[in-house]
Amino acid sequence: MTVVRLPARSGPRYGGAVVGAAALEEAHEESMVALASRFRDGDEAALGEVFDRWSSLIHNFAVRALGDPHDAEDVTQQVFVAAWRSRATVTPGPSTFPAWLVGIARHKVADARAARARDARKVRAVAAVTTPDEHVAADVALAERLVVRQLVDQMDEPRRTVLLLAFWQDKPHSDIAATTGLPLGTVKSHLRRGLAQLHRVLEEVRHGSR
Amino acid sequence: MAHADPDTLADLVLEPGAVRESVHAHVTSCPECGAALDALRSARRATGAEPLVPVPDGLRARVLAEALGQGVAPQAADVAPVPLRRRHAVPLWLATAAAVIGLVAGLGLGRWTAADPVAAPEPDPEPTGAVVASAALTALDSDAPRGDVEAFDAADDVVQVSVRARELGGEPGFHEVWLINVDGKRMVALGILARGDDGTFEVPRRLIDEGYRILDISVEPDDGDPTHSGVSLARGELA
Repeated sequence: MTVVRLPARSGPRYGGAVVGAAALEEAHEESMVALASRFRDGDEAALGEVFDRWSSLIHNFAVRALGDPHDAEDVTQQVFVAAWRSRATVTPGPSTFPAWLVGIARHKVADARAARARDARKVRAVAAVTTPDEHVAADVALAERLVVRQLVDQMDEPRRTVLLLAFWQDKPHSDIAATTGLPLGTVKSHLRRGLAQLHRVLEEVRHGSR
Repeated sequence: MAHADPDTLADLVLEPGAVRESVHAHVTSCPECGAALDALRSARRATGAEPLVPVPDGLRARVLAEALGQGVAPQAADVAPVPLRRRHAVPLWLATAAAVIGLVAGLGLGRWTAADPVAAPEPDPEPTGAVVASAALTALDSDAPRGDVEAFDAADDVVQVSVRARELGGEPGFHEVWLINVDGKRMVALGILARGDDGTFEVPRRLIDEGYRILDISVEPDDGDPTHSGVSLARGELA
């Protein structure tokens, strides 16, 4: 199932210069490190915040990997409960959670597939699945794409809009400047910095999911 | 030459034609810069996923209950469903206020002006049920009137939604009717206005109670894509 972005009355307009683009990133990264520290120390409110921010990432991954919303819901629940129970192992960093949660989710998805294979009632589902090696490659690519989408969706404006226009709709930089009302140089700096952000988080996911 | 700086490497991904030839030559011969460039390119290739769908209702409470071993009170962030008007129901002002609060909390709907519910006229011979909710429909880019919508009791758990639209314009395609949830995140398609600008649709009452109260009419190209085109012609919030 796909979800459409709900049509709004009018698109946002942005003007003026970027104020402290780097400062925004730093503030965001600091708050992520602080959240990871609180989570590790057993702050129950931190569990709710982590769920609110990353549950759709994990759930979407599980739905796409398993093809069954009910199994995906179970896996999502298992991932967050397992994360909480092993919170002492968290190493706080700016991209701790996507990498760590996706790593747990890949194991839980593999467990769910193994359970299916043992479950005679799901013979047809098993007959339709691919080999484990193909699963691993497909899961990694799927997880990376979802991590990127979630990260961009949670970026502050106008960077979020700039990245969506450039990377999802392949708009030329000059069009993006016209659409957002931002100077061309500002659009380019958002794209450069945004691409670097995506790269940093993906590096964590690749190292953390093994 | 020196190693390419991070901005230059990004430009090689974003607009390679704007980067000097000497830089291109360097990154093809320098393993370090080449690896950094490959990593940025793979980040660029990882874009394009559809928006993420929200998790099912109730999952958050189950996770917190299992992880923290306690009953969890519903969060304020959970959408509080507004019951439909029954004969002795929530006062209209309260239902409207709650729906507007839900909207403000929702995302991506932009500026929304709650339509004043119109007084229910005498219904046509059918449907015969009591009017439980109604709304004036307006355009999105202005408040120009676009007709109205009424919801009638059809059976115990079914509400009949009667749409009478007007001035939907002559854009090519067909007109599809949707209910958007006041959380601004969820929507369901009711069907197509096949007979001009009027149509009736049966909806499980549960959906409206869950907050699917914003009636939306879109123009859909005949492209086989079942999702909303993003082009809304009219909207009104059932209250």
